[in-house]
Amino acid sequence: MSATVYSIRDSIKNLPKNIRSSVLRPVEGTPEQARAAAVFGNVFLHIHPARVHENSLRFGYTLGLGLISFYLFLILAISGTLLMFYYTPSTQLAYHNMKDLEYVVSFGVILRNIHRWSAHAMVAAVFLHMCRVFYTGSYKAPREFNWVVGICLLLMTLFLSFTGYLLPWDQLAFWAITVGSNIAAYAPWIGEKIRFVMLGGNEVGQMALIRFYVLHVALLPVAALVLMGVHFWRIRKDGGLSRPADR
Amino acid sequence: MHVVKKQEIFPRDPNKTYSLMAIVDGDSLQVDKDPGDTVSSWPHLVLRELLVFLVVGIAVVAVSLLFNAPLEEPANALHSTNPAKAPWYFVGIQELVSYSAFLGGIVAPAAIVLSLLFLPYLDRNPAGVGVWFAKERRVATSIFTVFVVAMGILIVIGQFLRGPNWTLNLPWH
Repeated sequence: MSATVYSIRDSIKNLPKNIRSSVLRPVEGTPEQARAAAVFGNVFLHIHPARVHENSLRFGYTLGLGLISFYLFLILAISGTLLMFYYTPSTQLAYHNMKDLEYVVSFGVILRNIHRWSAHAMVAAVFLHMCRVFYTGSYKAPREFNWVVGICLLLMTLFLSFTGYLLPWDQLAFWAITVGSNIAAYAPWIGEKIRFVMLGGNEVGQMALIRFYVLHVALLPVAALVLMGVHFWRIRKDGGLSRPADR
Repeated sequence: MHVVKKQEIFPRDPNKTYSLMAIVDGDSLQVDKDPGDTVSSWPHLVLRELLVFLVVGIAVVAVSLLFNAPLEEPANALHSTNPAKAPWYFVGIQELVSYSAFLGGIVAPAAIVLSLLFLPYLDRNPAGVGVWFAKERRVATSIFTVFVVAMGILIVIGQFLRGPNWTLNLPWH
């Protein structure tokens, strides 16, 4: 009968426990049920099934390449957001911002290094992940569409890296993008137009810088995130990671 | 396992094709046995994922402490670098462009992207899923390996062996 009777004293005494249980959604039950609930009761972990096949845990099978690509994306998103505090997409200021990162901002040079090397590593990791999926035949039915989504993610990774390449506005960036955009101009009939849309002009300048910046910090990351959501969701729907047929 | 009760405890229903025959004492075959060859995601999968995150994070920070990202002179549209190179992942394409702008710059990249996109619909051989370099897929494996090795060679040539004016320039010269 005392269930409805409560005192402030009890509330304070049970405060840590009550906060903890309200955040964690604890599940009473067997250890097995508690372990399953730890995964499906957590918004960040519920992308996982409660149970996974042993083959999915074999490091020699996946080499962890998809996961590594995703982690590199996270590192890039965080370090990139921090870099945005110090960067101005202006041909007058961009290069000075780089020098400030190097000599003025605390740990600025480390921050830029992390972003730069993670970007290179992500291109490599995504490509190697594609090789892993190919060599293990993991694109075969019912996973055909997830392979297609994966190729789109590879293209997103390349575009993200390519658009980011221009932002430091040094000689390396300027001439790499000039060379890269000139390749697009070789397409018949529409090549020149593609380059014009890409650069916002006929050569790399302020319009190109702002276009690449907006693509790099807003459009492409969002597109990549959406595709990643589909990619991970399809892994679950297609029956988890591929594995040899049961014997 | 032994039969506990032999008499019928539920009346038979003539409309049903099944009925409770007996209640036996003992564990079912599935008790203490995982369904299939599965393990619970927590902790087996999640801890491994966290370990990979630690390794990736430490590697990235270590490399970033040791090597500085390149930064050259400010961009100058009037003074081109020689050679001007695309980012390393496009240098293979740039190398192809130096042979033929249209074939190397447009046809080859388009062919690569299109064949990658349509790969699962072209290769309908169902064999060899879940095994590295499955014997049943020798042709597919060989074709893909040629593609990967060719890309690698083109990138190495473009990145390391091309000097001013895109001439072949051995790095030890």
